Amino acid sequence: MNKRSILLFVTIIVGLSVSLFAQDGAGANKETPWLEGVTIGPHPEELSPVLPLKIYLENGEAIPATLTEDVSVTLVADTAIFDPEPPSEYNGTEIPSPKWTRNAAVSWFFIDWEKNKNVAASSSQQLAVNQMVVTPLNPTGKGAITCHIGRKMRYTSPETGKNKGTFANSSVAQDVRVLDITPPTCGLEVSVQGGRSGTFWVAENPPHKYPLPKLADVYFSGALVKEADPAEIITVQGLELGANMVVAPETAAVYVPADAVLNIKVNGEDNYKLDTAKLKYGICKIASGEPIPISPLNAAEVALAELTLPENPYLYVDATDVAGNRQVLFVPLIVK
Amino acid sequence: MYFRYDSRKNGGERMKFSNRFWLIVAVMFVCTSVWPVLGQTDAAATTEETPEIPGSVDMSLGVKDTTYVMPENFRGKETGEGDQQWLEDVGYLMQENSDLYNVDAAAIAESANFEGEPNINWEVKKEDADGNMNTESSDNTNKATNDSNIKDPGYYQVHNGGARQVSTSGGAEGEAIGDSGSDSGSESGGAASGEETASAGNEGDASGAAGGDAQTVTAQQRIGIEVHDCTAPDMWVAFQEGAGTVNMAETEEALKAQMVGKIIENMGKPFSTDAKAFEEASYIFLEEGEDSDRDSIPWEKTARLSIAGTLFNERGAPKFESGKLSSKIDQNDYTNHVNVIGGEGKSLKGVYVRRNVPFIIAAISTDNGNKRATAGEVEVKIEDADGKVVEKEGEGYLFRVPNYPRSEYKDQPDYFFTTSAVDKDGNLTTIRMPLYVVNTQAAFEGGRNQ
Repeated sequence: MNKRSILLFVTIIVGLSVSLFAQDGAGANKETPWLEGVTIGPHPEELSPVLPLKIYLENGEAIPATLTEDVSVTLVADTAIFDPEPPSEYNGTEIPSPKWTRNAAVSWFFIDWEKNKNVAASSSQQLAVNQMVVTPLNPTGKGAITCHIGRKMRYTSPETGKNKGTFANSSVAQDVRVLDITPPTCGLEVSVQGGRSGTFWVAENPPHKYPLPKLADVYFSGALVKEADPAEIITVQGLELGANMVVAPETAAVYVPADAVLNIKVNGEDNYKLDTAKLKYGICKIASGEPIPISPLNAAEVALAELTLPENPYLYVDATDVAGNRQVLFVPLIVK
Repeated sequence: MYFRYDSRKNGGERMKFSNRFWLIVAVMFVCTSVWPVLGQTDAAATTEETPEIPGSVDMSLGVKDTTYVMPENFRGKETGEGDQQWLEDVGYLMQENSDLYNVDAAAIAESANFEGEPNINWEVKKEDADGNMNTESSDNTNKATNDSNIKDPGYYQVHNGGARQVSTSGGAEGEAIGDSGSDSGSESGGAASGEETASAGNEGDASGAAGGDAQTVTAQQRIGIEVHDCTAPDMWVAFQEGAGTVNMAETEEALKAQMVGKIIENMGKPFSTDAKAFEEASYIFLEEGEDSDRDSIPWEKTARLSIAGTLFNERGAPKFESGKLSSKIDQNDYTNHVNVIGGEGKSLKGVYVRRNVPFIIAAISTDNGNKRATAGEVEVKIEDADGKVVEKEGEGYLFRVPNYPRSEYKDQPDYFFTTSAVDKDGNLTTIRMPLYVVNTQAAFEGGRNQ
């Protein structure tokens, strides 16, 4: 190995190192698409104090790690940003003649990490500037309440002796999950030979109602519901959303011929996650408030002639979400 | 010479060189592998204990392209405040950065890992008259750049809030909520399950991070921004005659009060485009125009001139006409001037009033500086060609001698109607047009012989 070989080897090594760094940079762009176009460094060039912030319940207790959907909590932010004077020292650096020059600006968010989406909190109530009512509206297994506070301040620059403006910042997060208390809102679509069909579906109304129970409306449409006007939407209002949603036959029903073969499709809906393994639907009778299946479970096709129908048969859908909230909807099936 | 190697030397020397060579190679590999890590972790704690994840880290925030950022002393602003000076309706590309946005979490804490992507929110707050910062917009973009286009003047703060989940032990998978056992769920069933758990704060560890040891770390930064008004004020001018069956406003003040209500209600735009709505009074509407035009950049601003009623043509025919005017911008302070000059050959020929018929004039202005929430009176004048102001007779104006057609009344003076409105930033709207006193019979029986 002569001198030339050694130099060549060293050059290769150096070149390899440089190319590795270059790849690292290019990789950073791919791995951090959120930084596309950003040309500034991660730290402020000028003094901008970051002050500690605590958030807790208005009674002084810690924010629980589990909240409940639709249940409000009033939170308090505690930081030196609300003090009469700004800090006169930060990270060992003196801040001469500090003065607040604007009011604090406060922002609260709820982040659903499962979707990486946030919702800005806002309150219609008159609250102190450091308070916020947070009502988580959607369940999540991984969420966070964040609070961001900034306040404009002025100090005397040690270098120039002149006033200088900057922001003091405080932010913090409390990781929480949000418990699902809303039962599923499932419905069915039924069709028979000849293309006639009937559909019914459920919508929580009013949405996010608390205290419990949740209420829902059931909507019906189609020729099997109203042959004279299949486009009409019939609404059965104010049922308690839960395990005993029985539609009275005088309000709405699905009418089918006695020799019909029913094609049944389920519309599974939940505000979080449906437990599909527990989903049941078909034709049933009711005993002690529970559905007793008459047709094979979850059959896509049911021939009525092959069933022994009870006096009051129902189409039903029995759904449970992963939190255990259960919805059982019974819709009268009237065989003509 | 340090690496000199002679193949004729003995094996011991060869071995010695070989050792030295591989030592150097090893050192270089160590350097290349350790160097970037050192660079990333210089801010991290180096204790041997499990490093604590901070609740928040700092953030930088700025404008990427500063071409249209005005100097700090723009329009007499005090320097040293650190606020940026922006122009309304100009989009500024903001950018921010934080250690939360790195590939790895070494700068947050030693051995820390990011769980997923950051959550990034851009927010604009505006200061109200009481000094409170109120949210104007909030956009969860999850991007570290954002175009901020503020459309109304005032003091604002652009805020970026970032958050990311950080763990020190490889993080935790998402946990289905309420999935503590299917039995409990099915036993409680429906609404009952909610009743059992609905009281906030009864469950969970009050201090720990939910769903494992991943912890949300936040960062935020703000910039103060003075957004400057570059829009000329809107102006409405009403001419109301007091003759015939028309119910003249008892005083000029009553007409002004009526206009103030309407100009605010209609955000400066004409309250009607139906000529029949202007039988009682004739109006000049001078405003920014349609919503799309209202967001024009300062050097492309236009104004819409609408004339409505019977007094803008010599025949007294009712009409509603609109046209667009260009606005002139001052290249130094970016104020705009909308100037309407009426006369022959112009879209606004003049105002035609009848001799011996008293009339009043009222002018009201509103400005986008406070989102057209208030309106103020504007001075109007009728003057002759020499600038001599024509005085009112009682509560209104009254001309007894016609001066139109000009060819027939050359001995009579020219009259001009003038008015102007200026906002606090110096944006200006001016109108100057001829005022013709028409011989009533000639005007309204045009085509017949006098």
